[in-house]
Amino acid sequence: MNKLLYPKLAASNISKNRRTYFPYIITCIITVAVFYIVRSLSLNPGLRNIRGDRYVSEMMGLACWIVGIFALVFLFYTNSFLMKRRRREFGLFNILGMEKRHISKVVAFESLYIFLLSASVGTALGIALDKLMFLLITKAVEGDIVFGFFISPNAIMTTVILFAVIFFIVFLNSLRHIHISKPIELLKSGSVGEKEPKSKLLIAILGIICLFAGYYISISTKDIISAITFFFLAVILVIIGTYFIFTSGSIALLKLLRRNKKYYYKTSHFLSVSGMIYRMKQNAVGLANICVLSTAVLVMLSSTTALMAGEETALHNMYPYEINVQTSSKESLNSFSNDVQELIEGEGHKVEKKDTVCCLSVAAVCRGESFEVTKPGNFGDLNSLNNLVFLSLDEYNRLMGEGKTLNKNEILLYSGDDKYNYNTLSVFDKNYEIKEKLKNISDICNSPVVSSYTTRYIVLPDENELEYINKMQQEVYGDDASRLSYILGIDFNGSEEQKREIYAEALELTGNMHTDYVITNRTNGKDSLYPMIASFFFLGIFLGTLFIMATILIIYYKQISEGYEDKERYEIMQRVGVSNDEIKKSIHSQILTVFFLPIITAGVHTAFAFPIITRLLLMFNLSDTALSAVCTVICFAVFALFYAAIYLITARSYYKIVSK
Amino acid sequence: MPILEVKNLKKIYTTRFGGNRVLALSNVSFSVESGEYVAIMGESGSGKTTLLNIIAALDKPTEGEVFLDGKSLSKVKEKEISAFRRENLGFVFQDFNLLDNFSVKDNIFLPLVLSGKSYAEMNLYVQPLAEMLEISDLLDKFPYEISGGQKQRAAVARALITQPRLILADEPTGALDSRATDGLLKIFSKINNDGQTVLMVTHSVKAASHANRVMFIKDGEVYHQIYRGSSSDNEMYQKITDSLTIISTGGADDE
Repeated sequence: MNKLLYPKLAASNISKNRRTYFPYIITCIITVAVFYIVRSLSLNPGLRNIRGDRYVSEMMGLACWIVGIFALVFLFYTNSFLMKRRRREFGLFNILGMEKRHISKVVAFESLYIFLLSASVGTALGIALDKLMFLLITKAVEGDIVFGFFISPNAIMTTVILFAVIFFIVFLNSLRHIHISKPIELLKSGSVGEKEPKSKLLIAILGIICLFAGYYISISTKDIISAITFFFLAVILVIIGTYFIFTSGSIALLKLLRRNKKYYYKTSHFLSVSGMIYRMKQNAVGLANICVLSTAVLVMLSSTTALMAGEETALHNMYPYEINVQTSSKESLNSFSNDVQELIEGEGHKVEKKDTVCCLSVAAVCRGESFEVTKPGNFGDLNSLNNLVFLSLDEYNRLMGEGKTLNKNEILLYSGDDKYNYNTLSVFDKNYEIKEKLKNISDICNSPVVSSYTTRYIVLPDENELEYINKMQQEVYGDDASRLSYILGIDFNGSEEQKREIYAEALELTGNMHTDYVITNRTNGKDSLYPMIASFFFLGIFLGTLFIMATILIIYYKQISEGYEDKERYEIMQRVGVSNDEIKKSIHSQILTVFFLPIITAGVHTAFAFPIITRLLLMFNLSDTALSAVCTVICFAVFALFYAAIYLITARSYYKIVSK
Repeated sequence: MPILEVKNLKKIYTTRFGGNRVLALSNVSFSVESGEYVAIMGESGSGKTTLLNIIAALDKPTEGEVFLDGKSLSKVKEKEISAFRRENLGFVFQDFNLLDNFSVKDNIFLPLVLSGKSYAEMNLYVQPLAEMLEISDLLDKFPYEISGGQKQRAAVARALITQPRLILADEPTGALDSRATDGLLKIFSKINNDGQTVLMVTHSVKAASHANRVMFIKDGEVYHQIYRGSSSDNEMYQKITDSLTIISTGGADDE
């Protein structure tokens, strides 16, 4: 009989506290399921060998670690919260004669139940969703669909062991909570007067400075190297800024409002402002947490969806043609071009497009309308580094099928998305008039310049000018100088498998070429690019799910615990003569602020993060800013929708508590 | 015309599923004249708090009616009930019920702010009141910074600032030490001398002994009442103790 007391008590405790435990258990289950899925995907033989590429598997292996660490931190945090809520209950047990070790025993059973429940249901859910995820990934990387159910005993083992460890650590933390508590304190907890927060103006100002410094980095960073370097600095600055502003800035602002007697002593402002001061003190850190998590979700989801949506553009930027060849001799290119065409037609395919070009690409530092070519290492500001691609007018006219003319010292300029605001351009001590700014240029010119720097195409009047530029840059760069590139691009029809075969044969043909060459093909490029992007995307989805869940839970708990505290205050107000309507209005405006402050801030953060993220996406040759913007907006909308749903659910629970 | 008239109040609490019915008030009738200082005594569970809640329009009676200044509380519209309460009634509670997030001054201002008074006007009201209650230096402090007695005086200031027709006090000395209790009772006597009508619910004999009239409630009915007449506080104290002894030993049961 006595033996059954603890297990029974533990079970009834969980069901009694279901308002707080139910969301916690759901969270545990989903966390377990996500971990299982990630782990199982990393072990799945179907993903291990997508045309010899282990990228997805390795990425999922990495994700395992991230999810595992996140699970620990997150469950630890929420459990601490639960334990704090239950202090009074433990105090009561203590006073009723249970020793701390008895309470510990009960809590041990509770932890065991929750562990068993979440491990079993979570793994089952994981197994069920695993197949779906596998299919989605296979579809995303256009791999071969494997039928049948893959259940990985290894993944189950890892999941169970990991979560056993996590729950044990969480349990130890519960014990700590029980042991540091004193019964008197336990019974009184909550009735201690809340001190009004002091406003720390200095910290608030520091926060604003940090925030704007972070924003400035994001907006001002133009090149990809600095973007990578400074991205994390910007993230840290914005996080610090967010915490400072939420904790100190909000209170400083509210106190300022309170000092304004005319504003403060109005019925609606009176209740809201004072309520918000009180609320911000307790919740500032929680709100900042929510804001940072939301920003993380938004940035992660929007950049990965942008990648996913733009993968085709990226692929075409990297590989303008199915087969791309670059070499340094005109003769070998021409003979190779003929050989490849014969090969393709010999296999029964049709050449759909074939272009060649001769051009020279030179790195130069842009200083207004003059471009300086200096030795590498002397570039100084990477932001102003440009990539100049020179080609002759004859080449241009041949490629574009046009009949433009140029006088000596005149050029045509194509600057892509970047604006060039001058009418002249000088390079190597020569000053050129820009006769026309071109609207577009043939894809073939893209081939040698897979670069994230601003690329400008300069059409020179004749071959001699090109020769001159070539000589000049060889003088500057010496052995590092670029050479005239002869480029060939061929598109032809056929299945992916046939394209791979032709590429392999073309690769053999290059043995006949007596110069150095670079040959790439789009289909093989896709085989390595798509899995990489898919891995990022699914990583984004998994972590996004976990982060959204964390956000939901934190908000829910915040409101619930506030509800219990606010209950008393609203009762007092009711007695003093505040009408139900006024109370409801005040609650409404406060909850609304508390709820939507973090997500609006997160939205602003994301908007300011957008420039640096588009730079980072250039790493994947994704240069479609409009597409990224659309993805970001959609992600924000979806997230806001989720958020609003949570708001409705939480607000309902809150009203229930307050008006009971 | 009496300021407060309570007629045949009956209150039955029903548990959620209609199982148990608890009779809190069976039949209570009394009236309070303007300027009176009435104490209602009774043991825990005798229905004191229920009675007070009904008078305060926080709860509705099952039967019977309450008239304040001749106006039936049941006739006041739901929307106006809070404003009605604010303008006609002042409350003093056992646990002070000051809001932690407001300074003492803002706590006192709360009912006026709700009525839409300007800051200058509120300031004008609060000064003499704070002086009388000796809390002038505490106005900018927060509730957690001051003692229980000081909190209760602040609560009295909040109750008085709207110049209500009736002050309702629910065990106002319940959480105070003896010195603070004396101070508060003096204040009640003083405001009563100035013409303020006070209705206090208590089970402290000492608190009740300051009143002009004491009513005893038992099992949901007004069981007995005594008037001060010309007796002093001490004589009143004696009278109350005697009555309580008789009531609790059930002397009247034999009638």
